[in-house]
Amino acid sequence: MNLLEINSLSVAFGSTEKPFHAVDGLDLTVRQGEIVGIVGESGSGKSVTMMAMMGLLDGQGRITAERLQFDGKDLLTLGARERRRIVGKDISMIFQDPMTALNPSFTVGYQIMEVLREHLGLKGSALRQRALELMEMVEIPAAASRLDAYPHQLSGGMSQRVAIAMAIACRPKLLIADEPTTALDVTIQAQIMDLLVSLQQSQNMSLILITHDLAVISEIAQRVAVMYAGQVVELSRVPDIFLSPAHPYTEALLASIPEHSKGARRLSTLPGIVPGHHDRPVGCLLSPRCPYVQDSCRTVRPELTTTSAGAVRCHFPLSGKEA
Amino acid sequence: MSTVLQARELARYYPVSRGFLKGYAQVRALNGVSFELDAGRTLAVVGESGCGKSTLARQLTLIEPPSAGSLILDGVDATTASRQELAGMRTKVQMVFQNPYASLNPRQKIGDQLAEPLVINTGLSRPERIEKVRAMMSKVGLRPEFFYRYPHMFSGGQRQRIAIARAMMLNPRIVIADEPTSALDVSIQAQVLNLFMDLQEEFNTAYVFISHNLAVVEHVADDVLVMYLGRAVEMGSKELIYTRPLHPYTQALLSATPSIHASERRVKIPIRGELPSPMNPPEGCAFHKRCPHAAERCRSEVPELRELDGRQLACHRAEEINV
Repeated sequence: MNLLEINSLSVAFGSTEKPFHAVDGLDLTVRQGEIVGIVGESGSGKSVTMMAMMGLLDGQGRITAERLQFDGKDLLTLGARERRRIVGKDISMIFQDPMTALNPSFTVGYQIMEVLREHLGLKGSALRQRALELMEMVEIPAAASRLDAYPHQLSGGMSQRVAIAMAIACRPKLLIADEPTTALDVTIQAQIMDLLVSLQQSQNMSLILITHDLAVISEIAQRVAVMYAGQVVELSRVPDIFLSPAHPYTEALLASIPEHSKGARRLSTLPGIVPGHHDRPVGCLLSPRCPYVQDSCRTVRPELTTTSAGAVRCHFPLSGKEA
Repeated sequence: MSTVLQARELARYYPVSRGFLKGYAQVRALNGVSFELDAGRTLAVVGESGCGKSTLARQLTLIEPPSAGSLILDGVDATTASRQELAGMRTKVQMVFQNPYASLNPRQKIGDQLAEPLVINTGLSRPERIEKVRAMMSKVGLRPEFFYRYPHMFSGGQRQRIAIARAMMLNPRIVIADEPTSALDVSIQAQVLNLFMDLQEEFNTAYVFISHNLAVVEHVADDVLVMYLGRAVEMGSKELIYTRPLHPYTQALLSATPSIHASERRVKIPIRGELPSPMNPPEGCAFHKRCPHAAERCRSEVPELRELDGRQLACHRAEEINV
């Protein structure tokens, strides 16, 4: 069953005459209990997509979609009040920087309890008891004494655990993790990833993991969406996508990781940068950087077409090649 | 090959206030690190936040005088050098920082920023300086018209190129790079790493490459120094460290690094807890609280760095646990 269904979601910023599409016709589905990874470079629209879905864009972006459905409810037509009942309860999110995600003026216990009070109406000792349980679930040592700690008294890894405790407080159906370990050390990253996966399994949550680290995705996700300049360019299963990428961008992204050039002096690179506001090409968005570019790529923008493994947005998808 | 950098028992202590009227405690941020570096070689320093990597960088770049030990730069001992000698030595060692958004002056044109080291340290005339700057810009892949632009007009990858160009202006013997690619996307990271490698080949520069990304380190390093709480725990050639790590901490770091291909994943070694505070280091081996092999001796006696199997290692039980 599809928990989340997004059909041609677009988010536009700027003037109506010359809008900038940060997200451009995005399709994504997430099934119950599934881990989906979203990868892409800065500016590819990963975070804006999730913010738009959560209704966190605060009126700056113009959101349009054919379909934006979560758990049978249409998020597009939902009023602010009903949306707030879902966001933070059934869908919750953890962010990249745990230090700025927590409020420095309140104890972490207060911040966890606030979620429980607001969404579940817990009170008194039951409230504190549940907060303590959550702190223990995210494996914070000496949880009882840490309830009264302020964020600045905790390390980055501990703060991220608190943020996770807040996010899972109401047993969400969908957890969105936006670069949850980018600011952390590798050993702590491994601990947090293990924690997320074990929580996801024990609570049968769906998890969307946004990251630019392909290795992290390949270790835990079941499906991956690769984004480039606001569009999904490839959608496929793990590990197929890493063994035989169908889109030239996925291939280039994989090739630029040091792991793929063991023993070589130079890394293979994709020349140039992601096109910005003013220099988006008419045809395929990758055409100025693509090593396989043809004439038709420069004039006609490809559609996302379904393949046996998933979907790909390319006129000339690669087939069966080792990356 | 000539040795350009020699550190012997280099240490740096910082005073830390214990509270109002309670006097000062000493934090041993860097606690006796020794290594040698030859021209044209790369030493990678790895470890988690708080292990003393950046303190080491500050000593090597002569930003701060070390509290103990000696530092011999291109044949001259920095700890006993006169002011004039120190000024001369500072031109031989340059630094590239992590965040290229913060390390460039936002109000100065790129051309002027690149010429500044020449203004301060050489007697070149303005036309000569401009010529040198333009030559260096073309070497690092910046177009000539960028000369009159300001930092905000560049992408992160281009800014890091500018920072690298500035470090190379005086043709230094040593470049210290502190996490130079961790703020960049993977495809841009590959471009910047290639640039580092090309410049090293051309100028025979020695690099001290500080990073927590072990995949990047594996690509750039000749030798690897693994640090934990201000001390070296293992040091040796990259091949030795990556194929057969002997220290439990090195093993844990490598196993925590995610990998795209299942075949290259190492057996996960669960490592509990976080880096202890350097204000209050544990007795004995600093790693024993997180070490899966800790024994009685590790809790009481600090392991000294010793020669084992072609590398230097600080572990009491290395022979027992690596059979």
